[in-house]
Amino acid sequence: MEIFSEIYNCYYQVLRHLLCRQDALTIQDIRRQVCSEGFEESMLSIIPKLESGTWDLFEKDGSLYRSKISSSFTTPVSKLEKSYLKALLSDPRIGLFLSKEQSEELNGMLACVTPLWKQEQFCYYDQFSDGDPYNDEKYRYNFRTLLYAQKNCKYVDIDYTSPKGNRVHHYYVPARLEYSVKNDKFRLLALKDAGHGRIKLETLNISRIQTCNITEKTYSKDYNLNSLIRNSYYKEPVKLLIKNKRNTLERAMLHFANYEKNTTKIDSDTYECLIYYNKSMETELLVEVLSFGPTLAVKGNEQFLRKLKERLKRQYDISMR
Amino acid sequence: MSAFKELVKSFPKTREYIRDFFVYGFKTRDEFQYKSLRTYDNERRRLESWLSPYVRKDHVSNGYNISLAIDSNLLDTNPLFRVWKTKSFTDNDIILHFLILDLLQDGTKLTAEEITDSLMAKYNTIFDTQTVRRKCNAYEKTGLLNRKKTGKTVVFFIDNALAFWIRANSSILDALAFYQMAGNFGIIGNSFLEQFDFSNKSFRVKHSFFVHTLEDALLLTILDIINKKTGAKLEIKSTKTGRTRAITCIPLQIFTSTRSGRRFLCGYINKTRRFTCFRLDAIKKAVPEEIKSNDGYNIPGYDELIKKLDKNRQQAWGVSFQSTENHHTERLKMEVHVIEPDENYIVGRLKREGRGGTVTKKEQNIYIYETEVFDCNEMLPWIRTFTGRIISLECTAKSVERRFYRDLQEMYYMYQICG
Repeated sequence: MEIFSEIYNCYYQVLRHLLCRQDALTIQDIRRQVCSEGFEESMLSIIPKLESGTWDLFEKDGSLYRSKISSSFTTPVSKLEKSYLKALLSDPRIGLFLSKEQSEELNGMLACVTPLWKQEQFCYYDQFSDGDPYNDEKYRYNFRTLLYAQKNCKYVDIDYTSPKGNRVHHYYVPARLEYSVKNDKFRLLALKDAGHGRIKLETLNISRIQTCNITEKTYSKDYNLNSLIRNSYYKEPVKLLIKNKRNTLERAMLHFANYEKNTTKIDSDTYECLIYYNKSMETELLVEVLSFGPTLAVKGNEQFLRKLKERLKRQYDISMR
Repeated sequence: MSAFKELVKSFPKTREYIRDFFVYGFKTRDEFQYKSLRTYDNERRRLESWLSPYVRKDHVSNGYNISLAIDSNLLDTNPLFRVWKTKSFTDNDIILHFLILDLLQDGTKLTAEEITDSLMAKYNTIFDTQTVRRKCNAYEKTGLLNRKKTGKTVVFFIDNALAFWIRANSSILDALAFYQMAGNFGIIGNSFLEQFDFSNKSFRVKHSFFVHTLEDALLLTILDIINKKTGAKLEIKSTKTGRTRAITCIPLQIFTSTRSGRRFLCGYINKTRRFTCFRLDAIKKAVPEEIKSNDGYNIPGYDELIKKLDKNRQQAWGVSFQSTENHHTERLKMEVHVIEPDENYIVGRLKREGRGGTVTKKEQNIYIYETEVFDCNEMLPWIRTFTGRIISLECTAKSVERRFYRDLQEMYYMYQICG
């Protein structure tokens, strides 16, 4: 079983889509499809093979290309994929998606398959211990309701207990369900009417949702989630200077790999790293920067630097008592 | 000079380049150390072709930097999965893929000879039987075709029941949309989604470290060795010195950090009689190898090793099973200032992040966190996250204590903190 195999090649996918089209294609149609689904230079390889007939998969009818295969062509599931599915059936989160009957049915179809891995073969040694209750029926119901609403742009009526214990009741449009591997928790990224036709993005912990009901109302406007997130970033990124000692450079690059960042070399062993973030990420980023100790130096922005210094000053004062 | 090709035959070289572009994202042409500059140019061109929407070019004094701008908070999939979809193939490979699978779509059972004849009759395509048989046998191995032998006759056929079940149960596709971002071997989930023309529009993953997908082929090999309960010979390249060394061990478990995404193979080394963890991104190759004892020492059985590891893991903070100062384990005690009740979340943090350590209230606004682990050095990054609240830190490994306070002094100096 191999992951790096031609059967998962991008060209095969492009060709499958072309071949399953029932209508005859012009070479321009083919080019467009290759451009949108292939790699940047795929056209240079694929088009000559089709034009010359080397990949004899189309009947040529003048300038038109007619597929030789049936439009209902289905690629069978490979052993690797079956083995992957079987492993997923043992994951505690699978119950959020599949009913008991579906799990049993799928398990039956995969009876002779060895799972690609077993849960006990992996140890997530630094994962927080208070992950979400994936087996809890209320949690599962809320999760499925939110997923349905997200896919159908439905408003949901949510009753929520905030981390400070306040009860909040609002109408939201689920935009995405966000999972944190570190926290082992799902959060809901939700749109909320901010008045005057504006919307704002809020984050709710799914385990804190008390009740969640779909309404008849549908959100029909277009929105760009990434623009909403990017607009939430502070204008000035955090500026870090990294001295490459104790292997800090590589550790920092891997550690901050999930942030949008830009790194440049300043001199032989010093690097400047700009990290983009928003208010909701600020405390976590601050704590992560602190975890590196003196091997990272924060040079900006002012607000982040001030918060870092406040923590250090507080530490200094405690130490001096 | 051979023409540039977008697809590649093997993965390991590509793995190194992509990792350097992604992880460091600032090396210029002259700074790359692998092979020739022409190789660099070709690899860079491939990378730009595969990942064009994510490639960023920044002009600097000695050329320009190429980096991958990938913010996992903003993406519905891992762009580096594209790297896995670049395996080269022959003209016959792609033609036979579509024609044989199309021919057998309805479950018909045919011999290699019958398939060869049908390719001619139905698609007007000529292949020799040997080539067709070879492809059918290869596809039987990958699971795309099934094979049945009756007497001397071997027939090939497709069983698409699972594919139809998936199509009829879209909730499994939702699950795959999630797991391709958040679980092991996300690339397989992603290939599944493509196969069923489904894409993730519902999930995002925070703390997703995309670069580690590059280790997935190696991980597959290692899991295979673990399942066989045998030993392995590892080729490891130091990320610090670049030197390569060979190590034999009995692979037991994969350790994963959710904070950096780093994955480690935890194995038992017979020579030192210790559990040791190796970073997957430093392992270049793993092959099964029977472990023999040279000194008459009776190597514990696999199941016994797993039991020992389970026991030892309780006292490992991270991936180290060796104490700092030659004690078996070290004790660490931290007094933390918490303004109650406003800062009770700090107590919550100590409990959920403290990996089995005890948290007790000493007096109003003061809590004590205590633990006993092999290597307290590994705890320092976590301890530093409580900067601003640490009343005292005591550790039986005095070097850890010294390092903590020395680093603090250095930070006070760096940021000009004084009374």
